[in-house]
Amino acid sequence: MSETQATTSQPAPSRDPGQSAMQLKNVAVAFNGRVAVRDATFDVAKNRVTSLIGPSGSGKTTLLRALNRLHDLTPGAKVSGQILLEGTDIYRGDLTVTELRTRVGMVFQRPNPFPTMSIYENVVSGLRFNGIKKKSILDEAAETSLRSAALWESVESRLKVAASNLSGGEQQRLCIARALAMDPEILLMDEPTSALDPIATLRIEELMTTLKERVTIIIVTHNMQQAARISDDCAFLLMGEDRAGELIEFDTTEKIFNNPNDSRTLDYTLGRFG
Amino acid sequence: MNDLSELHEASTPSSRMRDEIRRTSDASRARRMTVSRIMILLCGLALAVSAVPLVALIYELLRLGVPVIDKTFFTTLPATPTLIAPNATGGVSNAIIGTLVLTLYASIMAIPLGVLVGVYLSESDSKLAAALRVISQTMAGAPSILMGLFAFSFIVHDLNVGFSAIAGAFALAVLMMPVIIISTEIAVRGVPNTLREAGLALGAKPHKVSLRIVLPAAISGIVTGSILAVSRAVGETAPVLLTIGGGFINSWKPLDPVSALPLTIFENAKSEWPSQRAQVWGIALVLVAFVFVLSLSARIWAARKQRVNN
Repeated sequence: MSETQATTSQPAPSRDPGQSAMQLKNVAVAFNGRVAVRDATFDVAKNRVTSLIGPSGSGKTTLLRALNRLHDLTPGAKVSGQILLEGTDIYRGDLTVTELRTRVGMVFQRPNPFPTMSIYENVVSGLRFNGIKKKSILDEAAETSLRSAALWESVESRLKVAASNLSGGEQQRLCIARALAMDPEILLMDEPTSALDPIATLRIEELMTTLKERVTIIIVTHNMQQAARISDDCAFLLMGEDRAGELIEFDTTEKIFNNPNDSRTLDYTLGRFG
Repeated sequence: MNDLSELHEASTPSSRMRDEIRRTSDASRARRMTVSRIMILLCGLALAVSAVPLVALIYELLRLGVPVIDKTFFTTLPATPTLIAPNATGGVSNAIIGTLVLTLYASIMAIPLGVLVGVYLSESDSKLAAALRVISQTMAGAPSILMGLFAFSFIVHDLNVGFSAIAGAFALAVLMMPVIIISTEIAVRGVPNTLREAGLALGAKPHKVSLRIVLPAAISGIVTGSILAVSRAVGETAPVLLTIGGGFINSWKPLDPVSALPLTIFENAKSEWPSQRAQVWGIALVLVAFVFVLSLSARIWAARKQRVNN
């Protein structure tokens, strides 16, 4: 991807706007009236990795969790603005929250396989929750998603074993497989490697670059090298005067890291703060 | 070079601080050791004092209980001693069966309902949940004769069911419910929120998340709490006193009057026949053994489940 020129209002010019997986328009999240993140406007392009970067408290995770309506269960949480999934407003359009979540999967900061289920049951749990019972479908989905998560070879012979027997890195790949089994269009990843060692981290990063051929990835990361290594586009957020996070800049990763429009972006990526 | 570095080290503030700490520590060592020994002695003493009544009780129970237990103790109905046969007390088969029946019916009533209410309390912030929580906490501390009185006036009298196993089981169920509700709520609240979110993020509906993810993850705490509730109910006398009628028959039927081990202890202890009064210890021993097995199985179950989860 080339990034020939850019203005802040027209980010990522190298991408076709018709190829958006998700569009954010003035998205803000507030808890009991206190704004946690605001002014998030950008397009997430299909089959690319978009990273959300910024220091602690800049609202990266809060913004990410708005994208599959995980704030719904938090009393006092309010999401305003528009989030469009293929043109449908996910909060106000005719898309049920369960349907949204089957289309927008999520991988969390810490590996969270279901402790009482086996490896196999974990992978197919999402399908079962949505009423799919046919064994042939479940078996096929289990194998396909475990292969996609680069876990099939090491667990093929012990699918009935409790998921808690896997190592941390394997557990996280199991969680990725569990999300992939739903065949989502978008995969949200909230600092998926922050609890893992460098080798496990590397494997997950490699996985992401292959996965983006079939799924659009939005990842929150604290690790700037990681954002630079794996993401195609990058949103930089920063905590404002009133302690609310806001989007400072959105562009291709190359531009954000080499030639950003905002001096604060440059300061952050150079490690001058945060 | 060496001399220089030693000189440098000796004069740094941190090394002076270290010397000061060592000096103070050495000076007070003897006194601290003495205090430590006295404290250990006091702890040992406290342990002995609290253990004596317990050990004495178990000793008496075995000493007086074992001799009165034989095969007929478990298999025959009670008899009334006469002047010709003053030791013909019979057995307590009706009380053993009665206790099992009461426990079974009470568990069937209390456990499913208590678990559901506990799950509801842990997952809801509504006013109804808050009210239910206060009620269960109050009920957990209510005197057990109250449950007996309630079951007597409601089931035995108002509904005209009469003295029966079902009336006693109802009283015991009311007694067990708060324990089950509270322990279920604690166990369910202990399930990490990240598991709920993982389920929701897969498009699972909230009730499926509760039933298929949260409940299995909390099962060990729920089972432990339920078994403890059962073992408390097994030994209760007051709730069955006014409800079960103390029937001298072996019956599993809910509408029959039945007996129970604690009730038989209460009745036999008042007997004019020494043989019946002696039998009380055997009944008590069986009851304690029953409760012991129950709480032991709860512990083993919880420990095993814990191991599986880790």
